[in-house]
Amino acid sequence: MVNVLLQNLKWLNVLLLAVSASLVGCNAAIDIDKALEGHLKGPAKIYRHSLAGAPSSLDPVNAATVYANNIVVNIYDTLYRYKYLARPYEIVPNLAVAMPEVSDDGLIYTIKIKKGVFYADDPAFPSGKGREVIAEDLIYSIKRHFDVTNRSQGSWLWDGKIVGIKEWKDVGSHYSQTIEGLKALDSHTIQITLLAPYPQLIHTFAQGFSAIVPHEAIDHYGREFSVHPVGSGPFKMLRYESSNYALMIRNIKYRQEPIDLEFEGYDPKLHKQYGIDKISGKSPPLVDALKIDFIKETASRWASFNKANEINFTGVPVEQVDQILSQKRPKIILTPEMDEKYHMSHNIEAGFVHTDFNMRDPLIGYNDDPVRDKRNKLLRCAIRSAFNWQERNDVFYSGIGIIYPGIIPPVVPEFDPQLSNSSTLRNVDEAKRLMLEGGWTSDNVPTLVYGGVASVGTRQMYEQFRGWMKDIGFPEEKVSFDSYASFGDFNKSVKEAKIMIIGMGWGLDYPDAQNTLQLFYGPYGSPGSNNSNYNNLEYNRLYEQTSVMQPSSERTTLYREMNNMVIDECVSMTGISRDRILLWHKNVVSYADIQIVGGFHLKFVDMLDEEDK
Amino acid sequence: METLQYTLRKLVTGIPLILGVTLISFTLMVHFGPDKTYDLLGKNPTQEQITEVRHQLGYDKSFVVRYTQYLKELATMNFGYSDSSGEKVSSILIRTMPVSLALILPGFVLGNLFGVILALIAAYHRGHWIDKIIMGVSVMGMSVSFLIVIIAFQVIFSSSQGLDLFPVRGWDVYSFTDYIHYVTVPTLASIFVSLGYNTRFYRAVIVEEMGRDHVRTAKAFGAHPIELLFKSVLKNSLIPIITRIMFSIPLVVISGSLLLESYFGIPGVGKVTYDAILSGDQPILKAVVGLTAIMFVFTLIINDILYKVVDPRISLK
Repeated sequence: MVNVLLQNLKWLNVLLLAVSASLVGCNAAIDIDKALEGHLKGPAKIYRHSLAGAPSSLDPVNAATVYANNIVVNIYDTLYRYKYLARPYEIVPNLAVAMPEVSDDGLIYTIKIKKGVFYADDPAFPSGKGREVIAEDLIYSIKRHFDVTNRSQGSWLWDGKIVGIKEWKDVGSHYSQTIEGLKALDSHTIQITLLAPYPQLIHTFAQGFSAIVPHEAIDHYGREFSVHPVGSGPFKMLRYESSNYALMIRNIKYRQEPIDLEFEGYDPKLHKQYGIDKISGKSPPLVDALKIDFIKETASRWASFNKANEINFTGVPVEQVDQILSQKRPKIILTPEMDEKYHMSHNIEAGFVHTDFNMRDPLIGYNDDPVRDKRNKLLRCAIRSAFNWQERNDVFYSGIGIIYPGIIPPVVPEFDPQLSNSSTLRNVDEAKRLMLEGGWTSDNVPTLVYGGVASVGTRQMYEQFRGWMKDIGFPEEKVSFDSYASFGDFNKSVKEAKIMIIGMGWGLDYPDAQNTLQLFYGPYGSPGSNNSNYNNLEYNRLYEQTSVMQPSSERTTLYREMNNMVIDECVSMTGISRDRILLWHKNVVSYADIQIVGGFHLKFVDMLDEEDK
Repeated sequence: METLQYTLRKLVTGIPLILGVTLISFTLMVHFGPDKTYDLLGKNPTQEQITEVRHQLGYDKSFVVRYTQYLKELATMNFGYSDSSGEKVSSILIRTMPVSLALILPGFVLGNLFGVILALIAAYHRGHWIDKIIMGVSVMGMSVSFLIVIIAFQVIFSSSQGLDLFPVRGWDVYSFTDYIHYVTVPTLASIFVSLGYNTRFYRAVIVEEMGRDHVRTAKAFGAHPIELLFKSVLKNSLIPIITRIMFSIPLVVISGSLLLESYFGIPGVGKVTYDAILSGDQPILKAVVGLTAIMFVFTLIINDILYKVVDPRISLK
């Protein structure tokens, strides 16, 4: 028997060797040292970041997710970025030399870009050497959004805003043809002419969508450009496994710009504890390689983070929050054991979680019968009064989210901390009174259909909601769950206005309340971003009025007026901005941000040398 | 010659099988798979943009046209580009399939090998405490969720709270040592879970064989237990064993192991397929389903040829 066993093991050994040999042959040599040969001062510094999801495409025209954005803004250049440490967020030049020169009527923007900035070397270029970035590249990059073959997800940023784009698109998107409102005045100056003032324009140039790409890379890689990014950003892609990780190395051609900590918003009281002062005067990127692991599985991410030699950074999974904190309020404090091992920061979400009523549904929203229309409003208000945000916060967001009224979240400057929070407080008596006033009884209430993806979390949220509705007189069978196998299916139904009650989250594209107010602008109803299909003429008028206004107290007042309209008409149950706890190893010098600054902070991350520790 | 003729005949008769599998799976994909339109659109899309994306995805074409196109892709092995990442489907499969194979193979081989050995021991000691222990442990292995096993093994072997001997995640394989480093824990988890199923199945087969006349005769003749088990029992039990192993191979090669790949951060085809199912990435799904069907046809052929090898009485006609 032993002989037979040994024979089998021998055969197995041969098999394993064969597989191993094939593996070594199949895998390209990922050798950071080799890639940076002659540019390393010692052992390669490698920072391992982690994200809770994977990007689908790295083509800037499709950089629609935070995961894609984290990589895109590190491979490519954008004209502007956000300061590393300043809060509230402050936009500053990146590839641009300075903030734009804007004409008095707010229609013409002139932007100069830095000279001597080069794309990373890549086989896409003749002789493999990256050429200088020029103004025409930005024009080309924006044109790509209006070429239908690219299926851009970012064209909405400039659609209907820049002179001549529609015409260019309508005649077939020929790159050789010019766009009237997009001109290169010289090789390093861009002039943009708008149809109407667009105060958020500058923010659009700080997004991954606006990343500047060389046409040679698209010509060379064709459709696979989405997995072969070529840019002039701080890092260069070395290896990309779309579902697993992105391994980037320092772009050795990246411009030398020593860090001015004061300019970046350094505050010793806040940032000294993270060792940020150590990076002063250094030129980003500060590490030789940046590896971003895409890890959805929280248990695996947590176990990997807890090892000294795997990922250096993680967002804390909800199920771990209670184990790592010694205090949640008024200040979030780590347990002494965790504090000794890790650095921590927490980010208030640049966005919010809200549950909308579908106003196109005559059972709960707008109704041609004015009496029923009024009763529907009372029903919505009753449901909102029964909604228990504090309980939702405690159960699903570790009790550390910020509950606030309306749709202007705390992270934007237009947030009103004085606004009454009565719309966020559970008041069962008030809810019952509203039901009575509307003539709603357990017999005549419509069946509430709560839509969501078929996941444990969503189902639990629905059950919680059903419990609250039961408290105000809804029979259990009159609150149902409409489940969808995937987010794609759910989203399709939302966009086709088929779901009555929609739980959604929204991440801000830029720190301006306009970005959340547009979620309730009538013309953006389904399939647009206004999932509630709210359509109030006065609200729409104010939205259009403010959309061309520069930030001012007058605009803020109008924003808040719009916010009140959404609250008064009980269109949505809002809301909460989640607070995300972030941890990183003590040998990493960083001030992590997963919100607006997002991927921009990664070029400032450093790893401590042995002598620095 | 007989084998060649048989192979060609089977290849021809395999075509309806491929057509059937692809037709059913394609119908399911088209009618029940996620609609990718809105995933690919930006905010506030116009009807024109929606129509354009649907056109690019081929959603506006008739079922017959789409299915015919699929068969053409299958025949030419050109599945186009992923709807999500834009990467060539063939590049994705070429990159990920060897990784999945390398990940699964040790667990698959050892799981079956140990399964057969334990089954032989249990069957030989049928009703004895050894048999009871082996069967009890097998049931235990079968009863614990694979997910729990993975997490537990990660904690025990890889985490800083456990033995901290292996990595929690990753696949930076440059050498055989690296390979062993990364594959050990997934392999142990895989063996732990599959061993129970394998042992119980093989034991049932072997127990049946042990009751046959020729085994009793060999016993009466005074054959050594090992000789008896390997020559008289195992050899004659090989047909169901081969069937079980062979029919697992297409799934091992093509589908990989989603849970292992997800939790250990291994860039294999299982995770790619799972993501494609969730996102409705039809070019990837079509390739995986089509290739699995083709592999099943080849498996059937090889399986029948192996039958003849282990049992010369079987005719390929």
